[in-house]
Amino acid sequence: MAKANSSAYVERYADVASSLCGQTVPWLQQQRADAILQFTEYGFPAIRDEDWRYTNVSVLDKQHFAMAQKSVSAVITADWLKAYQLVDAWSLVLVDGYFSAEHSVLADLPEGVTVMSLAKALQDAQYATVLEGKINGAVSQDENGFVAFNGAYFVDGVLIHVPAKLQVSKPIQVLHIATQELTAINTRSVIVADELSEVQLIETFAGLECAYLSVAVTEVFVGQNANVTLHKVQVESEKAIHFGGTYVKQARDARFRHDNFALGGVLVRSDVHTDLDYASECELNGLYLGVKRQHIDNHTRINHLKPHGISRQLYKGVLDDRARGVFQGRVVVAEDAQKTDSQMNNRNLLLSSDAEADTKPQLEIYADDVKCAHGVTVGQLDEKSIFYLQSRCVDEETARNMLTFAFANEMVDKVKIKSLHDLILGQVLTRFPQEGINKEWL
Amino acid sequence: MSASTQEINNLINQEYKQGFVTELETNTFLPGLDESVIHKLSKIKNEPEFMLEYRLKAFRHWQTMKSPEWAFVKFDPIDYQSISYYSAPKRKEDGPKSLDEIDPQILEAYKKLGIPLDEQERLAGVAVDAVFDSVSVATTFKGKLKDAGVIFCPISEALRDHPELIKEYLGSVVPITDNYFAALNAAVFTDGSFVYIPKGVRCPMELSTYFRINAANTGQFERTLIIADEGSHVSYLEGCTAPMRDENQLHAAVVELVAMKDAVIKYSTVQNWYPGDKNGLGGIYNFVTKRADCRGANSKVSWTQVETGSAITWKYPSCVLTGDNSVGEFYSVALTNNYQQADTGTKMIHIGKNTRSTIVSKGISAGKAQNTYRGLVKVLKSAENARNYTQCDSLLVGDQCGAHTFPYIEVKQPSAQVEHEATTSKISEDQLFFCQQRGLSAEDAVSMIVNGFCKEVFKELPMEFAVEAQALLGLSLEGSVG
Repeated sequence: MAKANSSAYVERYADVASSLCGQTVPWLQQQRADAILQFTEYGFPAIRDEDWRYTNVSVLDKQHFAMAQKSVSAVITADWLKAYQLVDAWSLVLVDGYFSAEHSVLADLPEGVTVMSLAKALQDAQYATVLEGKINGAVSQDENGFVAFNGAYFVDGVLIHVPAKLQVSKPIQVLHIATQELTAINTRSVIVADELSEVQLIETFAGLECAYLSVAVTEVFVGQNANVTLHKVQVESEKAIHFGGTYVKQARDARFRHDNFALGGVLVRSDVHTDLDYASECELNGLYLGVKRQHIDNHTRINHLKPHGISRQLYKGVLDDRARGVFQGRVVVAEDAQKTDSQMNNRNLLLSSDAEADTKPQLEIYADDVKCAHGVTVGQLDEKSIFYLQSRCVDEETARNMLTFAFANEMVDKVKIKSLHDLILGQVLTRFPQEGINKEWL
Repeated sequence: MSASTQEINNLINQEYKQGFVTELETNTFLPGLDESVIHKLSKIKNEPEFMLEYRLKAFRHWQTMKSPEWAFVKFDPIDYQSISYYSAPKRKEDGPKSLDEIDPQILEAYKKLGIPLDEQERLAGVAVDAVFDSVSVATTFKGKLKDAGVIFCPISEALRDHPELIKEYLGSVVPITDNYFAALNAAVFTDGSFVYIPKGVRCPMELSTYFRINAANTGQFERTLIIADEGSHVSYLEGCTAPMRDENQLHAAVVELVAMKDAVIKYSTVQNWYPGDKNGLGGIYNFVTKRADCRGANSKVSWTQVETGSAITWKYPSCVLTGDNSVGEFYSVALTNNYQQADTGTKMIHIGKNTRSTIVSKGISAGKAQNTYRGLVKVLKSAENARNYTQCDSLLVGDQCGAHTFPYIEVKQPSAQVEHEATTSKISEDQLFFCQQRGLSAEDAVSMIVNGFCKEVFKELPMEFAVEAQALLGLSLEGSVG
């Protein structure tokens, strides 16, 4: 049964199918065909779907987004770019989903490390073999309508491969930039870290002042004993709709950390799913700041499949004006996964009487020898703390600003890369009243 | 605490104690459900016209609905046409006026269950309404309650004697459109208890209803309605058992509580329906809708439940906190063993100002059972300074069971404070070792630790129930510790 919101995209698929990347790769062609079939059946998710009960994407019924084309004129100024591109990192820039060599900084990559456009990689038989089993290897097309949509339509993306036993000296940034009004941007990223390697990655999503639909799916394969940190900095334009899915497979003893800063966009959904093998560890952090009419939905799933896994989650939300923040976390401990140690925390601060926080932390446990806990709070600033500050001659408004900022800053402080930390801090500050926050302290 | 291994083995091999069948002549409808069955049911109960219309409306709505699938339980679709919707012990024309007229077989059955209906022998303090299959067979202490102004009677009697109260309150908390099983219940409910506590009255004794399913191939659809008028106070207990049968039987009840200004209702349940055998064969499907409306300011409703029976439990006693400063409480122990499945929890809907709710849920899962806590805390915009505290802990006994926690928290009011905590763990080796070192057997140690784990909830139960609940818990866990 084709859904109303998806039919236009299904009908027009034939027109663009021949121009999508990976034409010469038969297995990918097959996957794309499966994906469009899946999407025809599912459409975009509806709120009857339990995983989407708090996030209504029916706006996609009313607004059609044309597929973004490669822009010919350079619309991005150097100054604009500077605000998002890290200076002390390698960076690969995707403009409207397409690789932009002129903006990217990829010189002097360590030997053996691959950071390249996914479309280019698919043209090269050597890389195409690496990618087989990796594209749609960490997520299945039937995960949800957005993943199927992305699987059918992705135009480019990035392939990052770190060979065994290599510690990458500088962070690698993938910068997604949207520039065209009313377009849909579909990218797919594949990150492979071989055993004993270590790498820090940054995914940044930004856009010019326009309305667009950004659908980005990232698949991460963390090899045995490898260590991957992925920071997602989502600062899309105020009118953007963003779906970002990060799907991770962790091998034995692998470590994965994800920091999710959801700051931009009007309707945002982020999925982070990870599968843990024997004694692997994951840490998922998140900060969502909602102002005006923003709707920010964070969805995490941690599958403990083998014993001795450790997982930690901390998501914090600050919601002002008419914003709505959602946290849905799910920890599944499989029958085999004894000695699992899992903690999930979600804290929400409501600043306005029109703001809303919905949270649904779930534990699904099939093994007995485990330590699993979750905690949730929703509330306002602690009156005692405000009083304390007031008693020390800080006026109430300033006291509130300071405490709100401190609440959010806990997450920012977890970022150890200096330039990235400052970038995020700047973005957080622009979204909040700064009265009384002394930047010199930070 | 049982002393010797011999006794423990006896206990392990002990069957479900309440699993006997009482041989009785009964009046039973043929299986099947259509409008004519509802007409017949309403006629047999001698109901006023408005009830028949109410039932038909519910039935028509039910036909448009689908059986819910969201719960974390698995069962084969239920064939509603193979269930008999009415079964009553045959009785003399006018119905029993005193206990002497009740079929001695039924009295015997209740005696076996430890619920003597004989007022003289009974310790004063608890009035019992006994529901046998589809009808209420006896209500004790009617006279004493009447003196206090309390109405406590079978709901079918209330339909005839107090239609004005029924009209006003029936379906006002759980409307017929509420959910699939509530709609079915509204269409075919046969009996249940009705309680009305007038203004300013503190009910002189605990009220209790004892439900018993006896006949095969029947469903039990009972309806309980408790109204606590301004400033009144009532404590109500509910117990249930059923015979052991290989087929699954459906129990779809609806309980509605209405608390007016300053009223307090305390509702306690010890649910011990037949849970099925070790291989998951048979057992009761317990699909129950329970909801309280704290309508008046400063009212309070407290739900306490101990769920040890049923093959499948699907039950969410809820509080709608409409009145300002009203309080909702939910204390629950849910224990599942063998192939039992439980999806239970609560809903706290904060509407009024300064409303408070507390949820304490303890889930224990053993054998191959699945135990799920599912709870909703919703704070509407109007609920200034609402406060919720939720704690749900799960204990796993054995490595083939599952324990799940699915809380939903929706807050639209910034001055609200909502906290939720959950933990899942197994009985710690250290605790076990500590007990064993002091001479307790492993079984006794587990029983003691589990009882300690549930203590917070048990202390909310009325005395007699607490003792029963502790004993039940020990029994249901038998054989799960290796």
